[in-house]
Amino acid sequence: MANLRSLLSFLLLALVGAVQAISANGGNRLLVILEDIADKDGYTKFLGDLEGRGFDIVYETPKSESLSLFHLGERSYDHVLLFPTKAKGLGPNLTPSVILQFINADGNILLALSGSTPVPSSLVSALLELDIHLPADRQGLVVDHFNYDTTSASEKHDVLLLPTPGPLRPDYKDFFALSGSDESGVIAFPNGLGQTLGQGALLSPILRAPSTSYSYNPKDESEAIEDLFATGSQLSLVSALQARNSARVTVVGSADMLSDKWFDASVKKVGEKSSVKTLNREFAKAVAGWTFGEIGVLRVNWIEHHLNEAGQSNASNPKIYRIKNDVTYSISLSEYSWDKYIPFTVPENDELQLEFSMLSPFHRLKLNPIISSEDSTTYSVSFKLPDQHGIFNFLVNYKRPFFNNVFEKNTVSVRHFAHDEWPRSFVISGAWPWIAGIAATVTGWLGFCALWLYSAPPATGESKKKQ
Amino acid sequence: MAPKKPATATGPAATSASTSTTTSSSSSQIDKIAGNIFQHYQKTTPQRTKLIDAFMAFLVIVGGLQFAYCILAGNYPFNAFLSGFSATVGQFVLTASLRIQTTEANKSEFPLVSPERAFADYVVGSLILHFFCINFIN
Repeated sequence: MANLRSLLSFLLLALVGAVQAISANGGNRLLVILEDIADKDGYTKFLGDLEGRGFDIVYETPKSESLSLFHLGERSYDHVLLFPTKAKGLGPNLTPSVILQFINADGNILLALSGSTPVPSSLVSALLELDIHLPADRQGLVVDHFNYDTTSASEKHDVLLLPTPGPLRPDYKDFFALSGSDESGVIAFPNGLGQTLGQGALLSPILRAPSTSYSYNPKDESEAIEDLFATGSQLSLVSALQARNSARVTVVGSADMLSDKWFDASVKKVGEKSSVKTLNREFAKAVAGWTFGEIGVLRVNWIEHHLNEAGQSNASNPKIYRIKNDVTYSISLSEYSWDKYIPFTVPENDELQLEFSMLSPFHRLKLNPIISSEDSTTYSVSFKLPDQHGIFNFLVNYKRPFFNNVFEKNTVSVRHFAHDEWPRSFVISGAWPWIAGIAATVTGWLGFCALWLYSAPPATGESKKKQ
Repeated sequence: MAPKKPATATGPAATSASTSTTTSSSSSQIDKIAGNIFQHYQKTTPQRTKLIDAFMAFLVIVGGLQFAYCILAGNYPFNAFLSGFSATVGQFVLTASLRIQTTEANKSEFPLVSPERAFADYVVGSLILHFFCINFIN
């Protein structure tokens, strides 16, 4: 009976594992919200790619009665994909507070905007909470008179042609470099709405506008544009936010760039004769994959620390150490990549660090990769504990843009020397003169006592004789 | 007061002369005094008291050497210095007590303590002291 039960639970576990395998930090339930469900025909390639990667897609409109992100306090969906809608509001099921609640409950959101439809005010407020700013009257159009597509937008200049983005900083892993593409890869950004980002550390632009672009209000009829929303690389065309709970929100400025029309479309840059294919499909895959937790998800497999001293027990994860002990700390990390875990490699110029801290770090050490298996890398460091007793933490705090947050804290006590753990005096050569001093005193005393007993005064002898 | 004035007036020359003679003879005087004291000590001190004095001088030398080493070479490990130095100091104090109790002149002070009893106390006290010092030097 017990065997059967364990077999059943194992099967259940395996089933859960299979479901979870689609995306590392969430499930596969994807809600797609469109103005009209028929609109999905415009995005068949993009949505087909998502379905092909195992997502279970549910389509809804904002007006739908059955639309609800939560059911009995639990998320009904793991990911939400919002396409532009024309309505000013999104109804009671998608208020800013519901959207933020969804993010707080570890839900991922991919938000597609458009330059031709005003953004619903509920989304504007929700984005403002995340410090992502949109033009004042909820509408804007990014144009660039130097980097536009000459075949489709020779007049309006609103189809931007952009090179594939490089890493934001040299020590970041580049998730959006679009492997398999040649150097002259081009991303088309048609009819898009640019955002500006606040100073928060959680925000990072995936795709910035070129320096010659600007955003204006297309409703403004006047010939001269007076106040611009933003210009140049101030404008973020695709921006990402990773919340502190590692929930991801991505804002794609142009919904059209995800549409079938612009996947593998032929475009021609200004001043060039031959037309090139766009890389929108690969870019959309990377952006959606990152947002829905298919890439850039780190997993801590195990953490181990032990005493690293000859002749002493090296049991794993003891609760207590002594000051000045030699200790080895190891952490095993995996990175999820589309459909499997691969060994996590720290990007070049970056370090995975271990802190040994009590309130403030006493040590901050680089963890070096020692073992690399099929699906994990073990990072390890050996060091001597500080000469300070107390309650310490082994802390790995690895927070980088586009990787989910790794924060692992293991608490240990560090005691002082026990009375019998100090080195004996005769081991320390500096103590030998004083040992000799005691020896001289004791032997001198023994000699004194012997002489004292030997030299009994004659007077007492006489008195004894008298007696 | 008045009749003494001339004497005081002539005083400085006379006294200076007398002091000069005393300083010239003082070194031999001091030698004499020291010799006297030494002879007196040799004659009147019992054998056992002389032994005690020799042992105390030995302890002063040993303790002084240890202290000098501490100043010259540093006090690490400090517990070794403390126990080594305090062994000599403690032994010195105990030996001084033995000397006080066994001196004939102090007999009236300790009517109930015989020299044998004083020595037994001294041995027990010394053993405890040695035990403490060896334990403390670790």
